[in-house]
Amino acid sequence: MGLQTLSSWTGQIGTVVLGATRSEGGSRSISYSIGGERDLPFLGSPPSGHRPLVAYEICDDLSIWPPVIREFLKDRIREPGAWAREAGDQWKPDLIRLFLTSTRKRDFRDFAAIRRTVEEVLQQSPLPLIIEGSTDQAIDSEVFAACGEAGEGERLLLGTAEAGRYRSIAAAALAYGHAVIAQSPIDINLAKQLNILLRETGVPENRIVIDPYTGALGYGFEYSYSVMERIRTSALKGDADLAMPIISGASDTLTVREVREADPGISQRVAVTWEFYTALSSALAGASIVCVRHPQTIPLLLDAIDALWGGAQELQGVRGSHLPHVRHETCQWQRRRGPLPLSG
Amino acid sequence: MPTVTFLPTFRKVEVNPGATILDAAQKAGINMNVVCGGQGKCGKCIVYVKSGRPLFDRDQFIRFFSPEELDQGACLACQTTIIDNVSVFIPENSLIQEQQILIETVEQESGFFPAVWKYFLELTPPSLDDPSPDLSRLLWGINRQGGPDDRKIYVPLEVIRSIPGVLRESGWKITATVALVPGGYRLIDVERGDTTKALYGVAIDLGTTTIVAYVRSLVDGKVLGIASNYNRQISCGEDILSRVNYARKGGLSRLQELAAESINIAITQAANNAGIDREHIYEVVVAGNTIMTHILMGIDPAYMIEEPYVPVVRRYLTSAAIRAGLVVKENAGLFVFPAVSDFIGGDIVADVLASGMAEHDEVSLLIDIGTNFEVVLGTKEWMFSCAGAAGPALEGGEVLFGMRANPGAIEKVSLDLHTLEPTYQTINRVKPRGICGSGLIDLLADLLQACIIDRTGRINTSIVHPRIRLGPHFPEFVVAWKDETDIGKDIVITENDVKNLIMSKASILGACITLMNQAGISRHDIARVYFAGAFGNYLSKENAIIIGLLPEVPLDRISNIGNGAIMGANIALLNRRKRKVLDEIARTIAYVELNAEPSFMDEYTRACFLPHTDLALFPMVEKLLDECRIRRG
Repeated sequence: MGLQTLSSWTGQIGTVVLGATRSEGGSRSISYSIGGERDLPFLGSPPSGHRPLVAYEICDDLSIWPPVIREFLKDRIREPGAWAREAGDQWKPDLIRLFLTSTRKRDFRDFAAIRRTVEEVLQQSPLPLIIEGSTDQAIDSEVFAACGEAGEGERLLLGTAEAGRYRSIAAAALAYGHAVIAQSPIDINLAKQLNILLRETGVPENRIVIDPYTGALGYGFEYSYSVMERIRTSALKGDADLAMPIISGASDTLTVREVREADPGISQRVAVTWEFYTALSSALAGASIVCVRHPQTIPLLLDAIDALWGGAQELQGVRGSHLPHVRHETCQWQRRRGPLPLSG
Repeated sequence: MPTVTFLPTFRKVEVNPGATILDAAQKAGINMNVVCGGQGKCGKCIVYVKSGRPLFDRDQFIRFFSPEELDQGACLACQTTIIDNVSVFIPENSLIQEQQILIETVEQESGFFPAVWKYFLELTPPSLDDPSPDLSRLLWGINRQGGPDDRKIYVPLEVIRSIPGVLRESGWKITATVALVPGGYRLIDVERGDTTKALYGVAIDLGTTTIVAYVRSLVDGKVLGIASNYNRQISCGEDILSRVNYARKGGLSRLQELAAESINIAITQAANNAGIDREHIYEVVVAGNTIMTHILMGIDPAYMIEEPYVPVVRRYLTSAAIRAGLVVKENAGLFVFPAVSDFIGGDIVADVLASGMAEHDEVSLLIDIGTNFEVVLGTKEWMFSCAGAAGPALEGGEVLFGMRANPGAIEKVSLDLHTLEPTYQTINRVKPRGICGSGLIDLLADLLQACIIDRTGRINTSIVHPRIRLGPHFPEFVVAWKDETDIGKDIVITENDVKNLIMSKASILGACITLMNQAGISRHDIARVYFAGAFGNYLSKENAIIIGLLPEVPLDRISNIGNGAIMGANIALLNRRKRKVLDEIARTIAYVELNAEPSFMDEYTRACFLPHTDLALFPMVEKLLDECRIRRG
């Protein structure tokens, strides 16, 4: 079958390489090349880019982590290093995204601890790493320098640059060879402006990943979806300032009212479902990396993505520029998994 | 009653105890600079008390004064209450500074076809052989002098009543005044002897804040006197919306009286400057925004500020001046400019007339900048317009050291792109007191080129330079050190100022681009750009483009028409043929409501970047910025 594509797009999304294996000068077990799309997913066939990656989000200070996750993890909570290792072994995410939530404390100055945490996570988990540093301009410079240096050679993805504070993170990325997440508040023009600012600071386009900000499903996700589509179509029409892969975090979903106020008996299932659908929709809108916090969401997402995009064998080694074949049996996932979550 | 003596003129005036010095000055016919309308907010009406003890809470307004000014006994005229005799010195800075407009251009372009004529007639007295009535005799005389046919002239009863006496007392040597009125002519006056030289008209710009009056001879078109004063309606609310709300609460007649009073003051002043009697003013032409002209004509503007925002009338209005309360010659005519919509009023129609854009085949872009801005784009065949709020940043408001274009304002700045040292020029070449709009635009352009600010306007605080520092609230750049200034403080521009300026300029550029998209034209199609309003006068065209205040066009296509409203009113006063054109212009201009135009927000966000998110629209600026980046390395 295969739909006729109605567009005459000539642009292509650039690629960004995350993680470095031993042969590439790092210590990761795998590295990914994301981006490369020439269209929107499933507008034509087969999808032209790489299959979306699933990142699992952890942190070094749980006090601001969603209650539903803390409740699920309970005694399994460890130091970030062990947490990353165990989650990687058990739930098989493609990447780890470490939030340095400890830096959000007032008057945080313990930059040596940041360095140790990053080093430990890198030691314990072989997966490519995304690091979310501070959100306070006053300490950005020290925090990102510490992260950047600790992960030198590992081709980390550092977050999050915003229009108001991007210089420190750009400096760390440039100095230590990492990529940068550029986040803007659900607005294509602001996304473009931030990319321009980063590039004018010297960050090359193949080290920028756009985060257009993801609202929770039912709480403005449609704006995020639409902005992702607009960013993608602008890039495909030739706007080089927007031709970067997209990252989307579904964490807002874990604090929506439906999850907070769900019956204790089903709250975990509601959280997983909400996160799953938000993340999967982001992938359909064109996100190259989708991030989740509930471990149980990971296998669901991986299965769904495998079913939609193709075989899991693609996970081995550095991916090629195109998938060899796309399975159109999108219902395969449903056959294997049974009914969609919550509907049973 | 206490007497106030104003120095240096020694003009004396008596006022009631409790009146302010500003009231006294207005009573004495002195036009003080009162931007805020006498609320003690602008600090522009500084006066020095030389003798007497008026009441003034100096501590409350201390921020407006330099130490030297305090030593000399500075007060704010609007906040100083008179209880006993005082003498007060008014420095020149506290008087309204006249704005020059290009009068020669007006005359060259418009032609001279006034709508009022005077005929000196030496009539033959009636006799038994020639028994025709006085009036017929008079009208035939007018016709013989080249005036209109007697059957086309309407004569009001009060004029007829005066005729027999005037004719005989003057020995049948009289001057008759005929005015063009809708549907024909009207004999508006009969005077003894030859008064043909005493034929004057007034052009008025009725602004929300200020009123400008031009007295001109309707014999040869010469400008005889100019005056301006503030709109007394300010006491009923500073901005247009609060005026309408005042009108809604039953205040329409009060607002109407104040509008007429303000115009009368301006006319009296201008007539005094011209040395003429206002009894010889035979026509008044008023251009103003839609709300102002509605109020002047006593038309309720209450429904104009609600959806769907429709004015009561769009066509031009004529009436007897006296019916609007204007004190000029009895029976003198009043002509009020037509409007396009609530937000595009007669002032903008006047801009369009003055610019001449309604006569061109090529596309023109007209931008009138004040606290609100209006944009008109089009040719003689079609025109689009829109209006919006630019915020006060470009006029120096919402900017820490911003000020209006008064003496002491830094009006031009340039930075040495290597040493980052500024050189600046102030109005009247005195020590700087602040920065006005043109200076702010220069600063923005140079800070960008020096890479001190990024394209969102953020100051790069990692640059080590004494002028770049962290202020109490925001990072800032020092334009003038304390010892260079007249205010005893460093004059700085903060990151917040820069952002306010960017938002102001973005709303204007976004509006221009929205109209261009509606018309389906690109910047290459724009043959002319006109700036209207005082703001454009000292603006560096190049810097305005570098910061993206307007679409990039070759610099020689940009010109400034100054106060287009008063210019247009002058044209209509001198050239009756242009009055019909005004109605055509008003009908041609289509109004685009930016709030209802979904693409405007997008264009605004895209324009909230220096000069614009899409540099391809600004090729000249792109080249410049590339050079800057290379220089910086």
